[in-house]
Formats: sequence, C-alpha cells, structure tokens
Amino acid sequence: MHIPDGFIPLWQCAIYWIIALIALGYSLKWASKNLDEKNIPLMAVLAAGIFAIQAMNIPIPWGTSGHMVGAALIAIIFVSPWAAVLVLSIVLILQGLIFGDGGMTALGANIVNMGLIGGFVGFYAYKILKGVGRIPAVFVAAWASIFLAALACSIEMSLAGTFPLVEGLIFMGLYHAVIGCIEGIITVVVILGIDNVRPDLLPAWVSSRKQEAVE
Amino acid sequence: MNTKNRNLIIGGLIIALVIAVMAPFLASSNPDGLESSAESLEVPESEPAYTAPLPDYAIPGMEDNPLGGVVALVVGTIVVLLVVLGLATIIGKRKNNGTSE
Repeated sequence: MHIPDGFIPLWQCAIYWIIALIALGYSLKWASKNLDEKNIPLMAVLAAGIFAIQAMNIPIPWGTSGHMVGAALIAIIFVSPWAAVLVLSIVLILQGLIFGDGGMTALGANIVNMGLIGGFVGFYAYKILKGVGRIPAVFVAAWASIFLAALACSIEMSLAGTFPLVEGLIFMGLYHAVIGCIEGIITVVVILGIDNVRPDLLPAWVSSRKQEAVE
Repeated sequence: MNTKNRNLIIGGLIIALVIAVMAPFLASSNPDGLESSAESLEVPESEPAYTAPLPDYAIPGMEDNPLGGVVALVVGTIVVLLVVLGLATIIGKRKNNGTSE
C-alpha cells in the first residue's frame, strides 16, 4: 500500500510528514534507550528481511497482489511500537529514494500508515490478545496491523479526494483482509523461527520459555 | 561482535537474500491492493515527483530481465541491513554506559 506521488495534495502530504517526523523523533528516543549490541543485529536482519519480502508480492483473488509490511513483527519482538516506526521508516525511505516505491511526497503518509499505525495496532492488539495464546494473538495482531493501516490509507485517500470514502474502504479493506492473512502467517513463522534458533533474543511476552523478564 | 551475533547476521542475511533473489521470479506482477483499488475507482495514474536511480526494483535499460531485479533487490537488502546496523549503533546505548538514564 505504498502511496505514490500525486494521490495526496501537497498540503496534506505536509501534515503527514509532520506527524511522521514527530513519530520518528519518539522512535529515535526509544532507540537511544533500548537498542544495544545484543538486539541491534536482530533488528538489522529483520529490516533486511522485511525489505526483501516487501518485494515478494503474493497473488490474491480479484487480480490483485499484496505483500507483508512487517510492523507488527517488529513491534512485538522489540516490545515497542516505536521500534516498528524506526524500522519501517528506514525501509520506506530507502524504497522511495532508491527504488521509487512509494512517492517521496507521500513518504510521510506511508510512514504514518505502515510504521506508526501498523506498529501501534500490532503492539496493542498483541498486548490485549496474548492471554488467548501466543500464536493466535501474533496472527491476529499482524492481520489487524495491516488491515487497519489499509483502512487509514483509504480514509487519507478520501480526504485527498482521490478515492470515494465508502468504496475506498470496501476495496482496501477487502484486499488487505486477505493480505493480512499472509502478514499473520509470516509473522508467526518468523517468531517461531527465532524462538527455535535464538530464544534469548525473544522478549518474555512472546517467548515459549519461561525466562527472566527482559527489560 | 561475538560469534552468536555474527552468525545471526550471516544467517538472517542469507534468508533475506534468498527471498530477494527469488522475488523477481516468483512475485506476482498483479497490482497491489492500493493500485487495484485505484484502478477499480478509475483514479488516473500519477507521475512520480522524483526519479529514483533503480525505479520499480529494476536496472534502467534491462527492465524485462529479472536478473536486473535480482541485482536491485540484493543491493537494496544489503543497504537496508547496513543502514540499520550503522544507524542503530550510532543512536543506541553506548557499550559501557549502562548506568546512564
């Protein structure tokens, strides 16, 4: 759901840029307190994997395709939505600058949707749902993160006068309800994979083992 | 950097690169959710405001060759890894500074 240039009027783009820059400020503050030599390598490889998998569009019905975003994955593993803002911002900036994926004028909106909204929805959905079980909670949180980001995107498109509100919500909601299943499955697989290979890197709230609280 | 972290970076990078190499061959070329919605709602295509060096994950002049896409994505994957490693190391906590904050 990378918004290209020309879909949002510039004055509205400026508003999303301001929100994105404020969010980025908070994410840098989070990083300065929480990133260390133990978790930086994990963040770097997950960011690289998210970049690669965002190029892997999977076909869904209606002649459409979609790819994972990854915000819920980062927010859950690093126990903070600001981690998702940081990683998705870096991925989106490089995608826009080097590959023209997502317009540079719409970059603020793309960071707001996929990083900020995706990260917060993924984080809080998991926080609320983790009592029902780790794996279903991860799946639903990841599904909800991309679904609500898509709904936010269609509301922005409507404010921009590009999509009509109701039809936009229906199309974007429908497509991303399906893409969300891809997001959910891959997020679960990655977390289970890390749990197998490097359980010490998973925080207590998503780890299969009892361990000391990770701060 | 200790061995565990080195192995994590090497292993993670290999997985990411495998995805990057397969993507140009396997990825669906159908429009994504937003593009499909725009088509269904008859929104005209827009022109980018900025010309990227490798537009659409392809090398200019070899857009039809998936190997160009492989190179573009491999480069992108490595750049993302290095940028996050570098940036996070600069802004993250200092090594012997655990008592601050």
